Amino acid sequence: MKNQWLEFYKGIITVRTSGKGIERFINTLTRDGISIWNVKSHGTHIVTFQMKLDDVKRLRIYARKSDCKIEFIKRRGFPFLQQRILRNGGFLVGALAFLIIIFMLSNMVWNVEIKGANPATEYKMMKELKGIGVSKGKLQFFIDKPEGIQRHLTNNIKELTWVGVELKGTTYYLQVVEKNEPKKTELFSPRNLIAKKKGMIVDMFVEEGTPKVKINDFVKPGQILVSGAMGNEEEEKAGTNTVPARGEVFAETWYKSKVQFPLKKTSQVYTGNEQIKHYINFGSLPLPVWGFGKVKYEEFETEENVKNFKFLKWEIPISYTSKTFRESEQMTKIYDHKEGIEEARKFARNAIKNDLDENATIKGENVLHQAVENGKVTLSIHFQIIENIAEGQPIIQGDSE
Amino acid sequence: MAKKWGHLLRSWMTNNMELPQDVMMDLPRITMIGQIHIYIENHRGLLAFSDKELRLLLKQGQLLVKGNAFVIKTILPEEILLEGKIDQVIYIK
Repeated sequence: MKNQWLEFYKGIITVRTSGKGIERFINTLTRDGISIWNVKSHGTHIVTFQMKLDDVKRLRIYARKSDCKIEFIKRRGFPFLQQRILRNGGFLVGALAFLIIIFMLSNMVWNVEIKGANPATEYKMMKELKGIGVSKGKLQFFIDKPEGIQRHLTNNIKELTWVGVELKGTTYYLQVVEKNEPKKTELFSPRNLIAKKKGMIVDMFVEEGTPKVKINDFVKPGQILVSGAMGNEEEEKAGTNTVPARGEVFAETWYKSKVQFPLKKTSQVYTGNEQIKHYINFGSLPLPVWGFGKVKYEEFETEENVKNFKFLKWEIPISYTSKTFRESEQMTKIYDHKEGIEEARKFARNAIKNDLDENATIKGENVLHQAVENGKVTLSIHFQIIENIAEGQPIIQGDSE
Repeated sequence: MAKKWGHLLRSWMTNNMELPQDVMMDLPRITMIGQIHIYIENHRGLLAFSDKELRLLLKQGQLLVKGNAFVIKTILPEEILLEGKIDQVIYIK
């Protein structure tokens, strides 16, 4: 027998012949190249055999010439299978629908888990996530990358310091670090508050301890601002009744900063023109789907966005990529002297703010010296800043001032 | 007369030139695997077939195969593969 699978693909028919001269009939068939096989005899004058579907037409011609009667009793093979599938289309539709549903469900968000956030922040995050489409039952395909979600959340919720977004299977895990951390455990060892820098006291707020300075006093670094020693004078001297001094002492402090700022500034900016190409990747082979042709821009930046598809827990090797080419250009800005100085001042202000605490404010600034040479503005500025200068210093027993 | 001469020539050639006899003399070549398979080449057509008997036309005479549960697995113009339980293979003049 030849390759049964090939025959199966073309279709196999079981024929029943009855009548006289069956042997002669079979001889004529074989001589004319109609291949038959599995010839079985069922009693006298009845023989069944199998043959190819393609040969059936020729079989009919020979059957007419002979005295035999032929019947087709069984149809097997791909063409009949196809027919049956078409007839029972519901099954096929069902099977396809099943696959599609499994595929969809595999690419859905089933859970969003937020860890490390207090209820209020969690609620805010949930709301924000819903806004960008990250919620139960949404398709992952339309959701931004985890990095994008991370950026969006940190930009839009100011309570968050950092959020880690991870997609594991069908669940998004968000690990949150909040800015308002739980309050530090109280310091219970007795201490004084001393000055960190020199400055002039403008405001005091003492929670515990004995203030040693008054508003408008000038203090030197290391000077005691709030003493931890309490009680009457004797006790204070002996240092027997000590408490951890707490409070904030705001003082005007002075900074001198020197900045250099170029009058000519080049920066890379996007022109707003962009070109998007879409690909479907089969394994590592990208197949362009939309957006053909070369990128027209001279200078551009490329952003790639890859979406993977999953089937159940497996990632199928087909993915979708969109590449965005953004045209960029060098922009040179030249400031005149006045603008340059203004920019330099702004720059200096930002630089000093970065160095200071959050609750420090700039009270005033004076330009001490300004010069424009070699295309650069050199400024030295004197800043008056109001900040908390109190710093804890533990009191060591027996050591009194 | 001429036919007989030709026959003699062929017989002589097969004897002296070591050529296979089935090719030269149009004889059937029968291969059997135990009792279950019989493969016959160089037949000249089916004469009778039932599940107990197969009769084949040869160039000279006929071949009768007896047994039971016969199934012709393949049949081609000059070849036939028969399956079943073969009891006897008989040449009929």
